Amino acid sequence: MELKREDKKILHRLQSNFPLTTRPFKALAEELGLEEQEVLQRTRAMAEKGLIRRLGPIIDTHEMGNTASLMAMRVPEQRIEEVSRIINAYTGVSHNYLRKGKNKEIPYNLWFTMSAPNKQELTKTIKEIEEKTGLKVRNLPTTKKFKIGVKFNIYRGE
Amino acid sequence: MKKYLQDKPAIGSKDSKTADPIDIRLLKHIQDGIPLVERPYKEIGDALGLSEEEVISRIKGLLETKKVRRFAASVAHRKIGINSNAMCVWRVPSERVEKVGKIMASFPEVTHCYERPTFPDWPYNLFTMIHGYTDEECEKVIEAMKKRTGLEDYVILYSEKEFKKTGTRI
Repeated sequence: MELKREDKKILHRLQSNFPLTTRPFKALAEELGLEEQEVLQRTRAMAEKGLIRRLGPIIDTHEMGNTASLMAMRVPEQRIEEVSRIINAYTGVSHNYLRKGKNKEIPYNLWFTMSAPNKQELTKTIKEIEEKTGLKVRNLPTTKKFKIGVKFNIYRGE
Repeated sequence: MKKYLQDKPAIGSKDSKTADPIDIRLLKHIQDGIPLVERPYKEIGDALGLSEEEVISRIKGLLETKKVRRFAASVAHRKIGINSNAMCVWRVPSERVEKVGKIMASFPEVTHCYERPTFPDWPYNLFTMIHGYTDEECEKVIEAMKKRTGLEDYVILYSEKEFKKTGTRI
């Protein structure tokens, strides 16, 4: 999708603090010097094209009282699709990637993040995955957060 | 944001770590995105039997108690040309983690920076996610991170395949 200057302006602005007012797109339009309908239509188009994954709450699992963790597994090449299907079937799984070490060999290749209502549930699911796959799951919970916040510079590269 | 947060008091769950049932119902309804219409909060309210005002107020409350980190758009970075996503893991002596973590986090290209436990087969305790237009661009950032911290033991992991990517759901 070819992004017009207006699209970039909107996309940039949409990445933080969506207005919590009765007419949020009108509020945005006023800020950006555009019309409400234009902001709405451009936002819809970017959502349809998949540029905007979603517009809404970015939930903090931990603050919701839930627990989340990063898991790593060593999966034989020929079983990757099968094991991924087993993992993805859990709704708590939000990311699942096949990763390879570039400068060094590492013991894991499948990396996924999973959240659960509590630690016991998380442990139970890990055990279930281990039983279903016959493979070991390495649990790597966060012990300290230094940064979290995916915001991209829309204007870079111009 | 302040402006939007201040105009009306928030309702919903006030304490941290206790989720109000209506808040949960609201979050479940909007976690995949709000409707892109003139009055999205009214449409959400109509679906849940809440007033537009209450929907707005509850979202404000969820932001105040930090149960919602941001209320905003999630951008598909690959579709805007940010094609490279490197996970770089570092072996950092425990007494240096605090300082190094802060330095790593200060790079704008670093979107996530976490400390995690180590194991006999896994000595890397600091995880960083770097986003860039190309792998080379990410690696330049990694070079700079190396220089600034003096760390030598690290692994760059590129995603070869994405099997799943959604927002955090409840």
